[in-house]
Amino acid sequence: MEHVSGTLWPYVVVVLIGFLPSEIWRLLGVLFSRGLATDSEILEWVRAVATALLAAVVAKLLVSPSGALMGVPLASRFASLFLGLTGYLLVRRSVIAGVIAGEATLIMLTVLCDG
Amino acid sequence: MRKTIWRGVRDALALPAWVVGFSVLGIGSLAQDVGHPAGAAMLSTVLIWASPAQAILYGGLAAGTSLPALAIAVCLSSIRFLPMTIAILPLLRHPRQRLVTQILAAHYVAVTVWVESLRRLPVLDPEERLPYYFGFANATIGVSALLTGLGHYLADAVPGAIGAGLLFLTPLFFTISLTAGANRVVDRAAVVLGFLLAPITTAAAGKEFDLLVAGLVGGTVAYLIGRLRAAR
Repeated sequence: MEHVSGTLWPYVVVVLIGFLPSEIWRLLGVLFSRGLATDSEILEWVRAVATALLAAVVAKLLVSPSGALMGVPLASRFASLFLGLTGYLLVRRSVIAGVIAGEATLIMLTVLCDG
Repeated sequence: MRKTIWRGVRDALALPAWVVGFSVLGIGSLAQDVGHPAGAAMLSTVLIWASPAQAILYGGLAAGTSLPALAIAVCLSSIRFLPMTIAILPLLRHPRQRLVTQILAAHYVAVTVWVESLRRLPVLDPEERLPYYFGFANATIGVSALLTGLGHYLADAVPGAIGAGLLFLTPLFFTISLTAGANRVVDRAAVVLGFLLAPITTAAAGKEFDLLVAGLVGGTVAYLIGRLRAAR
């Protein structure tokens, strides 16, 4: 029984901690789809909080990562992020170009440091 | 009608589905990193269908955030779906439509599908829109679920440098896409404040509530900065 609950636990987490808290806004959207201006002040605040929250998550993933990324020095992570942003800005504001530039930098720095 | 569904599928597979799939490849790796099976990672893509919320879920689990705080953080991060759903449903609506159909259509609302639909739907005949939308959205979600599974598999199977690269994909992608989307003062302030506050709130509020505090404080200050700028 304990084994079963252990196996199912990740799925329970996905449904209870991920799916339900997220889906509620789509359901409310269905209910509110008549009325409520999309440019109201409360939604403006809510969007700002959501954006700051996502930026905070990104910062945590960069500053205190886990797994294989933990072995990459902080300076390499930020150098790769910087070159990724530079690639994005230089290549016609292409997100894909930025991601490729950042990933290539990180992988090269990691290989060079290890070797 | 079948032809319209396939046209939606074809348009999604031309590029948009792969862009989204690419962004959740890293989610699969994050899930593998916290010890979740590939099935749970793929289910998270199909059910949550919001890579920021998924990044918060798996990033938070990795950081040791408590589950109730994590549920609140996920909830706050998905608030944008409320105005997005309100904006898109009128395009898909027709008389005598059942509530279940609307709830199902609303589930697919996420940044890429939403942006593409707002651009593509208005030029279609009203009765073509719903089948096209379901074809487009299901193809996008299907490709994304498969790539989530691939990211999970790769995290375990590839050498260290590539594994580090996969885990780097999520923060890199979101830094760039947040930068790309931050066109107004309030957005830019929210991105910068959230980013800078995270390490400070970890020290001040502990790792269980730091994300929530950083989001609430950073977002509120950014909102006030935006108001002040607008009032001037």
